[in-house]
Amino acid sequence: MQDRLFRALVWLRVVLIVNAVTLNIYRYDNFHHPYLGTGIVAVMVVWTVFATWAYAAPSRRVPALLCADLLITLAALISSPLVKGETFNASVPGFWVAAALIAWAIHWQFVGGLVAAALVSACDLLIRDGVSQTNYGNVFLLMIAAPIVGYLCGSLQRMAAERAAAEHAAAVEQERARLARAVHDGVLQVLALVQRKGAEIGGEGAELGRLAGDQEQALRSLIRQQDALVEETVAAETDLVAELEKLGTRRPPRVQVATPGEAIRLPAHVTSELTDAVKACLDNVARHVGEEAPAWVLLEDMGGSVIVTVRDEGPGIPEGRLDSASSEGRLGVSASIKGRLEDLGGRADLFTAPDQGVEWELSVPSGRPLASGP
Amino acid sequence: MDEPIRVMIVDDHPMWRDAVERDLAAAGLKVVAVAANGSEALARFPATRPQVIVLDLQIPAPNGVEVTAEVVRQDPSARILILSASGEQQDVLDAVKAGATGYLVKSASKEELIDAVHRVARGDTVFTPGLAGLVLGEYRRMLDGGGNDDRPRLTERETEVLRLVAKGLSYKQIADRLVLSHRTVQNHVQNTLRKLQLHNRVELTRYAIEQGLDEE
Repeated sequence: MQDRLFRALVWLRVVLIVNAVTLNIYRYDNFHHPYLGTGIVAVMVVWTVFATWAYAAPSRRVPALLCADLLITLAALISSPLVKGETFNASVPGFWVAAALIAWAIHWQFVGGLVAAALVSACDLLIRDGVSQTNYGNVFLLMIAAPIVGYLCGSLQRMAAERAAAEHAAAVEQERARLARAVHDGVLQVLALVQRKGAEIGGEGAELGRLAGDQEQALRSLIRQQDALVEETVAAETDLVAELEKLGTRRPPRVQVATPGEAIRLPAHVTSELTDAVKACLDNVARHVGEEAPAWVLLEDMGGSVIVTVRDEGPGIPEGRLDSASSEGRLGVSASIKGRLEDLGGRADLFTAPDQGVEWELSVPSGRPLASGP
Repeated sequence: MDEPIRVMIVDDHPMWRDAVERDLAAAGLKVVAVAANGSEALARFPATRPQVIVLDLQIPAPNGVEVTAEVVRQDPSARILILSASGEQQDVLDAVKAGATGYLVKSASKEELIDAVHRVARGDTVFTPGLAGLVLGEYRRMLDGGGNDDRPRLTERETEVLRLVAKGLSYKQIADRLVLSHRTVQNHVQNTLRKLQLHNRVELTRYAIEQGLDEE
């Protein structure tokens, strides 16, 4: 960032020196000592060329260079009464002093701008026989502008540093994610292998295998959730796919989740209510079918609505049991699931038959356009 | 008895490769080659002519999806069974579109793996409920996407069958529920994949032609 500011300063230096030389030629008659005056302008030109070269490399921007820059500027300024007499109007360097000022402001920022401006102002006031309104105005502007330029240079450099740090952090994060994927894959492989071998060994091995299987499922689900996390932008909407994938880590029962693979964004309360309804269905499976019973969750995006199906392979609910339960005033779980879905403007349907398991179909309007296809 | 099924195993984890090889050999299958990465797989495939490739998707380049596409291009009769640990959904879907006809997660039991290899070798498709959900989603996305009218579409029956697979029913359970033969259910599932793969090939060809025309 400093490099860019100093590169910009080169152009300013050129403009300032051309301006200073032109004005001094134009006002050549004001010189009481023309040779001395010409000599000082020549030194300014040489110094401008040298400074342009010297400031170009960061390694050469030592305090000595900046001090020399300011000292030469001050010397040129102080020479004005010698060259032009006590009652001179315009100083020899004129606006050329800005080059050293801004160099200080870039390098030492607010403090640099302030110190350099104070020194230049002090010299400017000291060499004059009287302080006019214009002199005061120039000094005032100098004292205000130089620290502000210094402050802005500091802010720019800080922002550039912050941006570089953020870019670095993002690159590190990406690399970490890449490594994590490789590690996850390795861990998944080992867990799957333990699960497989454990089942073959039997006994305690089978128990180990079962544990490895649970962890494998948990890690797999976690990875999918992380993938979904990247797209999380609008807080008011959450991804139903990611929420349901989390259920894959759940025990009991042993849940398998199938989704369309791409995020389905719904208002946050719809997502959480629907997810809770699915959890209630799964709790039911664990209670009535068994803790080790398998259950399946299928999420489908129908365009205008989403459908979640929760299925088990338990004994099912004998005909009439639900009706008798509700007529006896025991509304229970199924009523609460239906209630939740109705509150969302959707519906919950229960399909069951003896020995055919139970299948809940929960559907909610998604407020998205229907499929455009004919 | 018929000739043993010729299998190639592609996996960058040696212990997995060994475990799968042992299990398949013990079940009377003939492991004709193993490979640790995509380039080994593509080099050994033409020399050993396996009928079934048991393929891990997360392998050093070229990856599982690219290997699938290249193998099917060289020999459309080769069958690919994806055996993946990570279950990265887009990769699985891409591999299936590229021509794989089976997908198992690595936690599947030895019996499930051997059964899957036999079924894939017979030309059957082996789906997990998760893959069926992805394929259903893919068809719906194509329907939503607008554009070409040659997009593949599922028949009502195919949708019905695929949904039941996604809900975890076995082919036999589906056959019982819909009063169909096991073979018919199998055909419906196969059709859903075949249309997707055909569409994928057409799209790739169209893309290639467009690129070619643009260059002129």
